[in-house]
Amino acid sequence: MRKYTPKDNVQAKSYYTDRFWVAPRVPKEAVEEGTHFEKVVAALGAQVKEAYIQVGQLVMHIEATENFQVIKILKEQCGYTQCSEQSAVDYLAKEGEFELFYQLLNINEAKRVRVVCRIKKDEAIESIVPLFKSANFAEREMFDMFGIKVNNHPFLKRIIMPDDWEGHPLLKTYPLQGDEFASWYEVDKIFGKEYRNIIGPENRDPARIDRYDTKRFSRIGYEVPFGADISGGETEQPIEYSETFMVNYNKSSKQLDERK
Amino acid sequence: MQQPNKLTPFFENLNFERDDNTMVINFGPQHPSAHGQLRLVLELDGELVTKAYPDIGYLHRGIEKMAENMTYNEFLPTTDRLDYIASTSNNYAYAHAVEKLLGIEAPRRAQVIRTMLLEINRIISHLFFLATHALDVGAMSVFLYAFREREFAMDLMEDYCGARLTHSAVRIGGVPLDLPAGWTEKLAMYIEKMPEAIKMYEDLLTENRIWKMRLENVGVISGEDALNWGCTGVMLRGSGIKYDIRKEEPYELYSELDFDIPVSDRCDSYGRYRLYMEEMKESVKILKQLIPMYFETEPQLMAHAPQYISAPKEEIMTQNYALMQHFVLVTQGMRPPKGEVYAPTESPKGELGFYIKSEGEPYAYRLKCRAPSFFHTGLLQEILVGTYIADVVTIIGTTNIVFGEVDR
Amino acid sequence: MAQHQVNYASSAGLPIALTSVDKLVNWGRSNSLWPLTYGLACCAIEMMASGASRYDFDRMGTIFRASPRQADVMILAGTLSKKHSEFARRLYDQMTEPKWVISMGSCANTGGMFNTYATVQGVDRIVPVDIYLPGCAPRPETLQYALMMLQKKIRKESADMKKNKKQNLRLV
Repeated sequence: MRKYTPKDNVQAKSYYTDRFWVAPRVPKEAVEEGTHFEKVVAALGAQVKEAYIQVGQLVMHIEATENFQVIKILKEQCGYTQCSEQSAVDYLAKEGEFELFYQLLNINEAKRVRVVCRIKKDEAIESIVPLFKSANFAEREMFDMFGIKVNNHPFLKRIIMPDDWEGHPLLKTYPLQGDEFASWYEVDKIFGKEYRNIIGPENRDPARIDRYDTKRFSRIGYEVPFGADISGGETEQPIEYSETFMVNYNKSSKQLDERK
Repeated sequence: MQQPNKLTPFFENLNFERDDNTMVINFGPQHPSAHGQLRLVLELDGELVTKAYPDIGYLHRGIEKMAENMTYNEFLPTTDRLDYIASTSNNYAYAHAVEKLLGIEAPRRAQVIRTMLLEINRIISHLFFLATHALDVGAMSVFLYAFREREFAMDLMEDYCGARLTHSAVRIGGVPLDLPAGWTEKLAMYIEKMPEAIKMYEDLLTENRIWKMRLENVGVISGEDALNWGCTGVMLRGSGIKYDIRKEEPYELYSELDFDIPVSDRCDSYGRYRLYMEEMKESVKILKQLIPMYFETEPQLMAHAPQYISAPKEEIMTQNYALMQHFVLVTQGMRPPKGEVYAPTESPKGELGFYIKSEGEPYAYRLKCRAPSFFHTGLLQEILVGTYIADVVTIIGTTNIVFGEVDR
Repeated sequence: MAQHQVNYASSAGLPIALTSVDKLVNWGRSNSLWPLTYGLACCAIEMMASGASRYDFDRMGTIFRASPRQADVMILAGTLSKKHSEFARRLYDQMTEPKWVISMGSCANTGGMFNTYATVQGVDRIVPVDIYLPGCAPRPETLQYALMMLQKKIRKESADMKKNKKQNLRLV
């Protein structure tokens, strides 16, 4: 029976997990009174659904529709003047959602904040390019890698993959290797589809033996002339032992005896 | 006119005499001063650039996808190929992020060795910047001199880890090897020679009339723009903003070391060039302080966390439980706690951070590499506009981008 | 190169050496191999190092050229991504005959450690390769050795390029 692999997540998985194993969690600390982070959460008010500190950075969960306002407040009132990173995490298989995060930096306080929001599969997100120009490339990359549409982006186009690429590579449904379109992309593009047979599929094994290659390989029991075309299958040649047509030295040593 | 077909393609990359009488020129992806595989589509009005469109992705190798399909220790050698000029800084940034996720800390000797390697890598990277930047601008001899000193630094790395370019010299939880015998003496010799070499480059370039004419007031970025475009590292400090992660959010031993953060208010390529030279001097200063610190440490190299990190070889060979742990960690991989982490480090290019989302599996659920060069490439579409085509190469050189980490 | 000194010529004071056209042409070709500066990834740094002061490629008559029209050898140094493959083939087509290709590094040979959707699994799917150079990244000495091997190969070839049917030229 062929092994079942779920189609919604084709990434590598642990081959064995103990039934009773429960993953520990990275500790989440509450935002303490009188700290810088407490002021940030207070400035945003009810827009923050959940706020905690994880590994020294404030994480705030917000509503996806409010991302522009929240980040504007963070930039203008709380001094978060740099957007270091912006990307997404694919949770489509489990929850049917993408998780988007914005990593912001306050230069004066040397503090970092991560704004997290979730959107459904076909929803779009508002662009923050008017606030942070660094999001221009970051949002384009997110669109390229996940297919998440960004509203009001100045130039939303594939950035890393070629324009005629099919699929969004960082989705969990996209395999690391073996995608049909991806594996033939360069052959189709340069030589055309009709050259697929000539070039052949991707072969990473330098020690691979092609049984129909009569120039470099030979098969024992199927001797064929050098360079002969055996693509239809080679003709079997019965193995002949020297005993059948030559002098059998083992059985009868008469001739030898005569010579002596 | 030539008929295009698939085997003899007809490609025309120059488009003359359009409606508005501008010329569109294609720069790259194979261009000797594109620092890799940058493709720029420039719209020119005479010699003036009116529009610039950086096209990246020509070195996309799917490293972030690979991270989702590899255990945490398997992925570490892949990080070498991000910023391949200073590999150890990537290894460290990744190991640092995973260590923060696991909540462990490397032992002190490992920290000293890591800081040493990071600073040697900074010198290697800055020398490489100087060499290629000078070559692009037209100073061939500086290229040869800078590569000479760079080779000596590479010899030091090779003595330690055996590789010239792809070091993998840092592991999650420490370093794999102690410094070989006589290494610190070699390092001391090297850092003794280095200030003389830096002085020679400065004598060649700093007051050089051509160099100044090519670099001064070229590629001007205001401090506000630099922040807005996500510039970090020298690009940010060259615009008058003093922010270095080593000082502000210290990791490893940087809080104990005495060094300065050079800042320039010039906002142009010349100011950035001066900063690179100053940073090399600071790295030499740091390395000088690290050598005596090394001898004061205990010989432990890897953190003690049996759940995540294999025991030392002697223990694996002698103790049953250590062997079992090692077997599980090698065959299945470590399972970090559930949660997410973003850990920034100051790589030679700028802020190199890893965002790791862990679901408690041996494979990272999502790994995002925040590469400084990616954002510096995005900046090109703005600062190239209004400059002359001769300055384009200078500006690309001064951003010091590496395509391994731009495209990932 | 085999030289046959002719006595009556030298006695007349004329320095004449006789050789075959093949050997003369190949001597010229093999000793001035100009590679294309085609740095793709990490290996390009080692390629630059081999052109720089310590390893000094120039002494072998090897001078990097920026234009494919002036180059004889294409050193594919590094990972060739699928997006770039089209340009690699175009640059190869732009080079004038005779031309040779060195595939430098594991990524160029077989895809190396990047067995992913975005990487060409071996540049021999795109262009015919003469020398495969293993390593990740190969040291500059290795590249120099590869170039010497290529010189050896060229010296064995015929000067008439039509006779040199490339073994792995299966595309054209």
